[in-house]
Amino acid sequence: MANFMQNSVVSYACTCGLVNPITKLFFCRHCLKLRCGFCVCHEVDSHFCSNCLENIPSSEAKHKKNCCTNCFNCPCCQHTLSARATMVVVPKKTDDSPKEGEGDGVKAVTKKMYYLSCLGCRWTSRDVGIPDQNVATGAWPENECSYQTRFNALLEYYQAVVLQDKQEKQEYLRRKTPKAHKFPSLTDRTGLTVSMIRRQIGWPDKNTQKAKPVNITPSVATDELEDLPADVFTQPINLRNVSNIQQRHGQPSDQPFTVNKLYPQRRILWIKRSLRCRQCEHNVIKPEYHPTSVKYRIQLFANYHVPDVLLVRSEEVLHAGKSGSIILKLTNPTMHDMSIKIKELPTLSEELEMIEEFKLACKIKENTATSAAAESLKSITSSPSLTSTTLSRQTSLIEDPRIVQQKANVKLNNSELNFVLNQRDDSTEFDEDVQTPREEPEFIIWRKSNKVSIRLPFTTDESLKVGDLVKVGFTMEYTYVNTVTNTPTSHTLSARVFIDAGQILGE
Amino acid sequence: MEIVDTYYSKDEYVETASGNKVSRQTVLCGSQNIVLNGKVVVQTGAIIRGDLANVRTGRYCVISKNAVIRPPYKQFSKGIAFFPMHIGDHVFIGESAVVSASSIGSFVYIGKNAIIGRRCALKDCCIIEDGAVLPPETTVASYMRYTAKGTIEGGQGNPNFVPAAMQDQMVDYTKSFYEHFLRNPQAG
Ligand SMILES: [Zn+2]
Ligand SMILES: [Zn+2]
Ligand SMILES: [Zn+2]
Ligand SMILES: [Zn+2]
Repeated sequence: MANFMQNSVVSYACTCGLVNPITKLFFCRHCLKLRCGFCVCHEVDSHFCSNCLENIPSSEAKHKKNCCTNCFNCPCCQHTLSARATMVVVPKKTDDSPKEGEGDGVKAVTKKMYYLSCLGCRWTSRDVGIPDQNVATGAWPENECSYQTRFNALLEYYQAVVLQDKQEKQEYLRRKTPKAHKFPSLTDRTGLTVSMIRRQIGWPDKNTQKAKPVNITPSVATDELEDLPADVFTQPINLRNVSNIQQRHGQPSDQPFTVNKLYPQRRILWIKRSLRCRQCEHNVIKPEYHPTSVKYRIQLFANYHVPDVLLVRSEEVLHAGKSGSIILKLTNPTMHDMSIKIKELPTLSEELEMIEEFKLACKIKENTATSAAAESLKSITSSPSLTSTTLSRQTSLIEDPRIVQQKANVKLNNSELNFVLNQRDDSTEFDEDVQTPREEPEFIIWRKSNKVSIRLPFTTDESLKVGDLVKVGFTMEYTYVNTVTNTPTSHTLSARVFIDAGQILGE
Repeated sequence: MEIVDTYYSKDEYVETASGNKVSRQTVLCGSQNIVLNGKVVVQTGAIIRGDLANVRTGRYCVISKNAVIRPPYKQFSKGIAFFPMHIGDHVFIGESAVVSASSIGSFVYIGKNAIIGRRCALKDCCIIEDGAVLPPETTVASYMRYTAKGTIEGGQGNPNFVPAAMQDQMVDYTKSFYEHFLRNPQAG
């Protein structure tokens, strides 16, 4: 089974302390840190329909309530519906038929008609009496529920309330900020616009009218409820006609009780996400725009930058308190040689220190960010929407670092293992396997281009019982050449790696 | 985990000039209509129905034990017609899977016992879980995972369902599967 389809044997601790397989980790080239799914900002990059694979611009997606206009889901089993063509015999209309030599004129003609059918559960649009359409992407009836007008009125009202709120807040900010820029300073690079002058004088902007929410009739609670019909207690229920929870939730506007009120539902759009490092706001992933493309414009996967560790096998039968060893295969994914140092995991106090350090780094970052935001608030002469976007950025929402939950239950026999991992060279794949003789430390089993296989000896804890899982943990220090900067700089980075070595078998 | 070496005896598998390793205990109907584009492993018990329509696979595909590859058909008023099936590069088809898709992109993982209904379209970099059943004419978009429960999850950039580096993962997996699928050295 492929590694990504099962629980990974080898996992890496993210900077935040969560443990993940390398396939779920990213590497920020600007912070030089590992990032997991919680350490990145998830942003909607583009909308698309997963059935017809059409790309839908986000403004259009919003307008269409994030639904595809062409595709429908089965209301019964939520699978996609397909349009089926049938030949239907329709009587020829009498007004266009009487032409000379065409016979009696009441001849029936066959016409191609379409209906929607689910190939998962055999539901069809005919089941609920939706008339067949004469085009495949036909005007399938929108099931408007009875509350639709009320909904729209409420929506309109609350949008107006939000707008009013925003305007009042702006007005308040404008009045509160000292008018430092009463006269345009010489350093003002942008020219004086009419709206700026108006604002400086203290007049409201000409183009923004005060939004006034239209009045709506508030809902009134009532005590009067209709009694249950008498036949509820007498008539046996046919469960086949009652819709299930999933079907009701699939049609949230009216949530039908019976299956004859199920209507095709527009398919909800999917998104492509771009991920952004929360500390430095650089992208770690940015997918290509087109829905069918599998490429990325930015792809900083951890396994492009961090040495990949694979467990080949566990050497001996593992006993508690005895020594054992595992064979590992390390791969250098980068174009630069790496010197690797394998050592014990940090102790608890060291780990706490690391967390403090990380928190401090975040705090400095946050302070600069908030002061920048405050700065931009003061100079509100520019468009006010700008400040609101900078404030809404999720800069401060960095995942709180924590102590790694996973604990190793072995001690490494060597305090340090040092070796060099050669750079990746794609041409060597086709070369003959030439072993260049060189002085190798004894723990190296073999070496081929950018791969190295090592034996890692350890002693298991004595407290382990038969059947317990042996967890090998180590800190892997590696040199990393940063090519983001103009002059490549070398850094020593470290990753905490955890490996399931297998169960304790004998006493 | 590193893939362990699997050995086969010389009598069990045929290795072609282009590097395909095909078991002798397979049913390859209409073999003139089957194109395996090199370094493809077809394991024991697999059935490929080339007699129905053309089947073409890319490089580094794995068709596991007892999998059935059956070109899709479409029903017309005058009868049925079979359509050719295209499989991309680096595709893994699990044990006992039944595949009737009209197209399978590259870097696709199909779990064991999965059933892919006729005329499904599996786009590049998607995952079909073990035991999933896809009704006919289902489209699984790139970076989507079709679960055994029958739901579709994921999306490009979502790290929780399909790995963001699915392409590299599948290249690695199918290549190392091929490289670790070896002829038994003792049996000669
Ligand atoms: Zn993290
Ligand atoms: Zn669609
Ligand atoms: Zn259905
Ligand atoms: Zn960063």
